[in-house]
Order: sequence, then structure tokens, then C-alpha cells
Amino acid sequence: MADDNPDSDSTPRTLLRRVLDTADPRTPRRPRSARAGARRALLETASSRRLSGQTRTIARGRSHGARSIGRSAHIQASGHLEEQTPRTLLKNILLTAPESSILMPESVVKPVPARQVVQPSRQESSCGSLELQLPELEPPTTLAPGLLAPGRRKQRLRLSMFQQGVDQGLSLSQEPQGNADASSLTRSLNLTFATPLQPQSVQRPGLARRPPARRAVDVGAFLRDLRDTSLAPPNIVLEDTQPFSQPMVGSPHVYHSLPCTPHTGAEDAEQAAGRKTQSSGPGLQKNSPGKPAQFLAGEAEEGDAFALGFLSTSSGVSGEDEVEPLHGGVEEAEKKMEEEGVSMSEMEATGAQGPSRVEEAEGHTEVTEAEGSQGTAEADGPGASSGDEDASGRAASPESASSTPESLQARRHHQFIEPAPAPGAAVLSSEPAEPLLVRHPPRPRTTGPRPRQDPHKAGLSHYVKLFSFYAKMPMERKALEMVEKCLDKYFQHLCDDLEVFAAHAGRKTVKPEDLELLMRRQGLVTDQVSLHVLVERHLPLEYRQLLIPCAYSGNSVFPAQ
Amino acid sequence: MEEEAETEEQQRFSYQQRLKAAVHYTVGCLCEEVALDKEMQFSKQTIAAISELTFRQCENFAKDLEMFARHAKRTTINTEDVKLLARRSNSLLKYITDKSEEIAQINLERKAQKKKKSGDGSKNSKQPAEAGVVESEN
Repeated sequence: MADDNPDSDSTPRTLLRRVLDTADPRTPRRPRSARAGARRALLETASSRRLSGQTRTIARGRSHGARSIGRSAHIQASGHLEEQTPRTLLKNILLTAPESSILMPESVVKPVPARQVVQPSRQESSCGSLELQLPELEPPTTLAPGLLAPGRRKQRLRLSMFQQGVDQGLSLSQEPQGNADASSLTRSLNLTFATPLQPQSVQRPGLARRPPARRAVDVGAFLRDLRDTSLAPPNIVLEDTQPFSQPMVGSPHVYHSLPCTPHTGAEDAEQAAGRKTQSSGPGLQKNSPGKPAQFLAGEAEEGDAFALGFLSTSSGVSGEDEVEPLHGGVEEAEKKMEEEGVSMSEMEATGAQGPSRVEEAEGHTEVTEAEGSQGTAEADGPGASSGDEDASGRAASPESASSTPESLQARRHHQFIEPAPAPGAAVLSSEPAEPLLVRHPPRPRTTGPRPRQDPHKAGLSHYVKLFSFYAKMPMERKALEMVEKCLDKYFQHLCDDLEVFAAHAGRKTVKPEDLELLMRRQGLVTDQVSLHVLVERHLPLEYRQLLIPCAYSGNSVFPAQ
Repeated sequence: MEEEAETEEQQRFSYQQRLKAAVHYTVGCLCEEVALDKEMQFSKQTIAAISELTFRQCENFAKDLEMFARHAKRTTINTEDVKLLARRSNSLLKYITDKSEEIAQINLERKAQKKKKSGDGSKNSKQPAEAGVVESEN
């Protein structure tokens, strides 16, 4: 079918298309658009997880644009057979098939130039003018003639076609409108890029969403942790070597006197919070009534502590009631920048409730103080264990980042009635606060590799699971949290030492000599056992081949993906 | 040869013992002061444990200092190495940093005085006295 089309104008596809174009241009638009809207709704519900807000907005924009453009097109060139009515455009979008989208463009493009002889000069040889006028809608129209043939597969293909069309619209919208030389080649290229764009567009929203959601959570968690640390002297024993065992009064001052990097993060956090509230505000109102009811009920559950902290965070962020929480939350937000976000959308959702719950701000402050004492024990455990740094430690386990929010959520499902992501997110956010508070005082020279302090607590879950596996006996959750806390401190110290060693040698880059010095102090490398011996002993050859180029490539993933 | 090694070993061992004894004596004196201050007695075992611990830790310190100096491609142990060593305990680090700054200041003053001395030549008698006074204060 595809092969036959390019040569002749009177292919079944073109004929069908002409029929559709000429038949009832006005009235069918409503049922068409309604159908398209229904399909779009189905698509959105079905692929709500995968399609990003970008795609949705673009889809909406495209529908709007289609209608508006269709009207203008109608006015401008009513007599053209190839007129791009919104109906035909939508139909083309819906009928776009994935496999044919790659093949058809080449076949479709040829009939298009052939048809252009008949068409007015408006549709030039490259259809560039059309593209100029309707950049987003061009490919669907070009695709439509070729794809009308497989009408039998309409039902099945519509979803994927719609996505394809949306992605094509994405690709086209990204390209400059002045794509005058948008020849068939480029169009075919656009179309070929459609499929790869799909997974990227699916992936990007998650990445794009991470920072905003995290920042929203961190503020409240930080507030809570501030109170927790002030109320938790027993934790001083663990941190005796850290200057943070100093009076609690000093802690807020210490925190706020942190290097100026938080200021830069503040702007990002505000932007992120604004974006987040805008994007996720309308969608998650239903969660909010449940939460405040539970909080005000005054349940003495740990989950409440987290959720309260979380809500206070969100309210603080949204309402900007206090500058300090926002300031504090900024650092947490920056720290969490690299954390993966399985719970990201949920965190976004919960964070978005902030603007809708501004009236609860006063209640939150009271409740957070009340729950501060409750959440002390719980917050200390996960709080201190979050890592605010250790790029080298966490680099090994970025892939397990999502497991932590999941595992935390799983743990808290038993206890809390609230949505798991909220406490999970609150836990995640509470974690960076405490270690951050602990971290900064002893580091006088840190001008702030802020991303380094990102709590890759998510990565530590991997080690904790390993630990629990090798323990060969069931472990309490508290014990696992303590293990995570210890691991976190261990990695913090490790990276601090590496940094200090490098600085001691007058360098800014950590070299293997620094690591060798560290291992020597640890007693792993002695005069009898050298570093290379250890490498040979513990690192299998296959991993060595993978890891060593990766390490030497300077933080770039090797081989390039 | 073996005898030399043995005697050397014995000498080192006896030297070590003497050093340990010196440490033990110093620790005992310090513990007495603390006992007077806190009105709490120290048992002999405690003092012995503390002195043994101090001795072993001094060995570790020495090795670390040597490693740090070598890491910085130096052959002499520096105050920087000492500060690196004390970084774990913040109060200790602060104390050491203050002391090192004090010493640096004294050295600068001494250099300035020496320059003047080369010019004057009459303050010789004063300066050693001053230096001595400053050192005793420290």
C-alpha cells in the first residue's frame, strides 16, 4: 500500500482525503472535535503517567490552534481541496500510525509535491509556507493522505497515532517556524524523529518535575527537623565530633549563616514552587481535605508528623509565610536536586495543596510544634541518615534512587492513612535537613558544591537492603534506619576526607592518591597490601573495564548512551 | 648480626618502655589535676589505660602526619598536617588553629624584631627575654 501511493495521485488515501475534505466542512467539526476530545481524554487517562504535562498542554494547544487555524484557513482558502480544516487535521493526527509515520512521509511527500501543481501557490513545493503558517499541523496533513488507507486500524492506531501526531507537533513546534526549506526530507526527518521523541518526552517531564516538587517539600521538613534537632539531645552522642553538638540556639543561626549558595537556590526554589503550584495546584485538591482533617484530629502517629511537616512546608512555600523556612527549604531543595522522583508527582501534588490551604498556615505552625516532639524520634532516624553529599558514593547507586521513596512509602503505608507519598516525601525532605545542619559547621572551606550535598538517601537504600540481606535475619525498621543513618555519616566523612586530602595537596580534584591515603588510614592499604592488590582482589575484571573508564572520564557516563 | 638486631630490638623496646613510662607519668599528673578539679578519684587501671591509649594514638598520629606530609609532597611535617589531623574534633581544631596563628604571629614579630635588631644591634638583650616571656606564657 505504501509503495503504491507515492507514484499516483489517485490513491485510495488521497481520494478518501478529498472526500473528507469536501464533505461538510462545518458541521462535522463538532462531532469530530468532540470525538477527538473524547479520544484525547481517553489517551490522557490511559497514558497520563507517561505523557507529560508538556504533551498535554501541547495537545490542548494544538487542538486550539487547529480550530483557530482551521477557521483562518477556511477563510483564506476555502476552495482548496487540500485545505487544512481542523477536522482533517485532527483526523490526520488520530490516524497517524507509528510505523507508517516513518515510511509514509517519504511516500506522502511525493504526492504532495505532485498535488501542489493543482494546489495554489500557497502550498509551495516544500510546503514551507504552510509550515510557516501552521507549523504544528503540517506533518499530520502530509501524513494523513498516506494514512487514511488503513482505516480499518483506526481504532487501534488512534492512541498511538495521536501520540505520534502530538510528538510530531512537538518536534515541529520546537523547530523554528522559519523552516522555509522544510523540504520533504526535513519533514520526513521530523516524522522519523517522532518515535524517538516519544520516550524522551516521557522521560523529560519527570526530570523537569523533580526539582520543583522536592523544593516544596523541603521547607516544612527542614522546619520540622530544626525543631527535632533542637529537641533531640540524644543525637548529639552520635555527632559528638561534629560541632553541631553545640547549643541548639546556635543551630538556626549556623544554618542561616551558611554559604551564599543557598541564595541562588532560593531563587530556584521560588521559581520551582511557583511552577509547581501552578502546574499541580488544580489537580490535587482532593487530597487536602483528608490531610488537614487527620492533622487536626491530633493523631499521635509518626506519619502525621511527616505529613504535618509536609503540609507546613507546602503552606510555607505557597503562602511564603516565613522567609526562613523558605530559605532553609531552599538548601534542602538544592540538595534534593538529583534525587529521583518516583514520588515526585505525588510530592508535587501534595505540595500543590499548599496554595489551596493557606488558611491552615496558623494551625500548621501550632500543630508542627506539637508534633515536633512526636516526630523527634522518627525524624532523627531518617533525618540524619540522609546524605547531603557523596557524589562518589551515590554515583554507584543512582539507579536505586527510586527504590527509596518506594520503600519508604511501603513502610509508611501501614502506619498512615494519608497518601504514602506525603510522608515518604516528608521523610525524604526531613532527611537532608539534619545532616545539612550537621554538615556545614565543620566545613569551613566549603564554598558550596551544593549539588554534592544532595541527599542521595535514595541510593543508600540499596546498601541497606544489602545489609539486611547479609544479616540473614529479619531486621526492625528502626535498625534499618539506623544503618542507613550510619552509612550516610560514613559516606559524608569519606567524601569530606577526600576533599580535605585533595586540598591538602593543593589540588581541587580528588585523585587516586587521595583515595590511597584514605584507605591507608583505614588500614585497608598497608605496606604489604597496595591499592592495586585490593582492586584486583575485589573488583572483577568486567566491572573494572566498565568502572575505570567511567571514573576517568570526568563524571560523564561511559560509554555514552 | 642477629645479636645486633636483637640488641637493637631490645634497645628500641627499652626506649619504647621509657617513653611509655614518661607518658604514663604525665597522664597521671593530668589525672590528678582533674581529680582535684572534679573531686573524683582515678583508679590506677584507668590511668594505665589512658596512658596506653595515648601512646598508641601518638603512634597513629605520627604515621598519619608522615603520610600527610608525603601526600603534600613534603619531607617536613607542617602545621597544616597537624591541622588536618585534628579536623575531626572541631573544638580541638579550633584550639590548634588559634595556637598556630599565635605562633605565626610570634614568628612574624620575631622576624620584624630581628630586622630591627640588625639595624639597631642594641635590642639583643631585650628580645630573648621577650621571646622567653612569650614562650612561657604560651
